[in-house]
Amino acid sequence: MSPKLPDLLTGLAQAMLVPPPAEVGPDYMASRQGLVATLLILAAQEAEKGPAARRWENAAIAALLDAVREVYPATPRLTTARPDASWSELDAENAALRQALIGLHIAAEARGDAATQIRILTLYEEMAQARRLDLMPNGV
Amino acid sequence: MTLASQIEAYLTRVTGGPVKVSGVARISGGASRETYRFDAQTPDGVRGYILRRDPPDSLIETDRSAEFLAIASFAGKDVAAPRALWLETRGAELERPFFIMGRVDGGAAASPFQPDPYGPHADAIGARFFEVMGRIAAEPLRDLPLLQVMDAPAPEDCWRRELDYWEGVIDADEAHPQPIVRAAIRRLRHAPPPPPKRVGVVHGDLRSGNFLHDGAGRILAVLDWEMAHLGDPLEDLAWATDPLWSRPDDPRVSGMIAFEEGVRVWEKASGLAFDPEAFAWWSLFASVKAQAIWISSAKAWSEGGAEPVLLFSGWFTARAQDLILAARLKALGPL
Repeated sequence: MSPKLPDLLTGLAQAMLVPPPAEVGPDYMASRQGLVATLLILAAQEAEKGPAARRWENAAIAALLDAVREVYPATPRLTTARPDASWSELDAENAALRQALIGLHIAAEARGDAATQIRILTLYEEMAQARRLDLMPNGV
Repeated sequence: MTLASQIEAYLTRVTGGPVKVSGVARISGGASRETYRFDAQTPDGVRGYILRRDPPDSLIETDRSAEFLAIASFAGKDVAAPRALWLETRGAELERPFFIMGRVDGGAAASPFQPDPYGPHADAIGARFFEVMGRIAAEPLRDLPLLQVMDAPAPEDCWRRELDYWEGVIDADEAHPQPIVRAAIRRLRHAPPPPPKRVGVVHGDLRSGNFLHDGAGRILAVLDWEMAHLGDPLEDLAWATDPLWSRPDDPRVSGMIAFEEGVRVWEKASGLAFDPEAFAWWSLFASVKAQAIWISSAKAWSEGGAEPVLLFSGWFTARAQDLILAARLKALGPL
């Protein structure tokens, strides 16, 4: 999931504003509010790291695609967005780049190209790390 | 008409006697159904119940008949299943499909993300947890109520049926390309697991957080049977030991016992031998299945689902699952 910060915050606000049904007990509401608080903490992390993570991932995938184009000529040429690109623009570019990466990985598997596969698997780990979110030490 | 009066009307009709319902309160209890607790007074006295009703949107599309019949399949058996009492697939007085089961009081479910959730009772809880899992796997299929709504797959088809289903969920609900889980799916198809020695009941979501414990080392009730099906018993073992349910700073399975000890207990209770090759396949599959659920959750949230758990699952948990999947794929190496 690649949520945009305004959508996150708006959605959470709406979740808190919707009046609970009559049958909802205090334990349930306390649990729900605790979860909203956790999500706000995560949203703060996303606000700080989200755009940079998106730019890094897009540049890393584009660089890999460029590096293997000689061997995989069908790999599409996808430029990375301008520095002031919005989250929506970065996500749209990311979707195209990820789709091209999936295609490259399938092609590398079909060729038995271990070196390219290892580069892609390493990139997957880095992509996951770049987008990682952390709960507080107490699990909240 | 309040929910209490709807339940009252229903129970009065099906029991054929006067019923007074009180204390209706929604509780957290799985993400695929609305879960309520209530008390019902009949001429025989007051008893506690749990209502599981279909929500307008759900984290997991599941058949409430299968959930109800899975619970009923283990009535009176030593796996801490609740009492399955009434099922209404058309909603009846409650307007949406639901079932009612007996309430188990005095227990709590731990969050998979909290540190040391079982404290000094971790060993006892862990041993019992893996014993229950083994007993579910050991249950003979013959005459089980669950067979009313599903067939047992041939042993060699267990993996394909599950992988086809969950890949289909990803195909249907993916909003943004997911190269990591797609790579994992290709790897699973490239090298299927050996068939199980025996097809058994798979709970489908047996893990820390889906059982009630009494805080003193006893498991009181195993919950959330909505993904129960028939298949390779190793599937439950792999699901319960997915790294998502354990904190990275704690080597135990979900803060209970060491993996090797859990496997030893499971082998004894199930009568099955642990197959490392098959388990490796089911472990990767468990992470794929989990990611499919989180992708569905993200879709439900983006389409207007108001429950914060949909966002938590579709966002935080999905990213944590990508970390697990990426590490597993890297360790496995190229195809």
